[in-house]
Amino acid sequence: MSAVTSVLPYAVAAWLFGVGLYGIATSRNFIHLVGCLGVCQAATYVLLLGLGYRWGSIAPIFYDHPPGTPAVDPVMQALVLTDIVVGATLTALLLVLTVQAYKRGGSLDPEKLRPMRAGGKSGRDQGSSRVSEGGQQAP
Amino acid sequence: MSPRIRIALLALSGLILLPCAASVIAGLPAFGATIAQYGERINAITPEARHVANMVSAINFDLRGLDTLGEEFMLLAAITGTVVLLRGRRGEGNTERAMRRPGRAVIPRSEATVLACRIAGPLTCLFGLYVVLHATVTPGGGFQGGVILASGTLLIYLGEGYSGWRDAIHSHWLDALEGGGALLFALCGLAPMLVGAAFMQNILPLGTFRDLFSGGLMLVENVGVALAVTGGFTQLFLEFMEETREAEEPDEPGEESA
Repeated sequence: MSAVTSVLPYAVAAWLFGVGLYGIATSRNFIHLVGCLGVCQAATYVLLLGLGYRWGSIAPIFYDHPPGTPAVDPVMQALVLTDIVVGATLTALLLVLTVQAYKRGGSLDPEKLRPMRAGGKSGRDQGSSRVSEGGQQAP
Repeated sequence: MSPRIRIALLALSGLILLPCAASVIAGLPAFGATIAQYGERINAITPEARHVANMVSAINFDLRGLDTLGEEFMLLAAITGTVVLLRGRRGEGNTERAMRRPGRAVIPRSEATVLACRIAGPLTCLFGLYVVLHATVTPGGGFQGGVILASGTLLIYLGEGYSGWRDAIHSHWLDALEGGGALLFALCGLAPMLVGAAFMQNILPLGTFRDLFSGGLMLVENVGVALAVTGGFTQLFLEFMEETREAEEPDEPGEESA
């Protein structure tokens, strides 16, 4: 294979990561930011699958092909599976934090994010989201 | 930090990191030339040693089962965090009414959507079960099948609306599924120790290669993961769905001004 194909997947991974990082740094919206983090994470999928690939190999499932057929690296595939599960739950958690930030600050812009403190701006809603019970009855 | 300084910092770090990344990429083995010895050995040994056809499942549930146990509890922790954050803020006093944005038309659900969801929902769940149960034979497993099953429950919402979805889905069942699945996985690790084997050692009969019943203990662990993933993701959908309901007490100040 030519020199281009031998580094292309790694270059794509680096490019995806860079694009995602640029998006995170310039983001003006938390939901956009979470999406950019997803792009960064896609770079890790490409990198892992690229590292585990070998030309002329089958998927590491020996159902149609007898064991012993050259197969790609199953460890990388298991890692990508882990990666995807972690990514999905992390995205959910970040979106929840986005919902909370919007409810408290009234804005989705990371620039306008201010530190949370009890009895924050204009004294509204003293109970922080960490106080689950009893926080609603704050004076 | 102003946006301009941030861009400048990003460009600077990019300038520093780019040559480093280039040198690392140049040092990597050429794409597609070879794979790591570890994966090679797993491919060579595992079909004989564990009677399973799917190497990825074999790694997740047996060879590196301890890692999956950690992943399982990470999943549990992330979903617990999500639930605590949303439910803690919201409280229990939500109404059945959906929040409305004034001026936006409410379009009723078309019959085609209902029909499509009623056909696709059971089929999706069946496919999810198939993917879960054939973890050791064909591509799939508890994680993939669990997510498919959870998407099947979303089709209930799409087809039947919020009230139908709430009739079908109960939060405490999901808690039990999620926690029970994780517990089942942990017990699969501990149970072999009762008979003097190592943690998570595969002591059950391994079954026949390329058969549904192959892999021994892996099948049980796989079901545990499927339960936890189904419960966990459906719980996520449920909590986000609850966010769209109107709050009971409109006198909560933070909600209105947002």
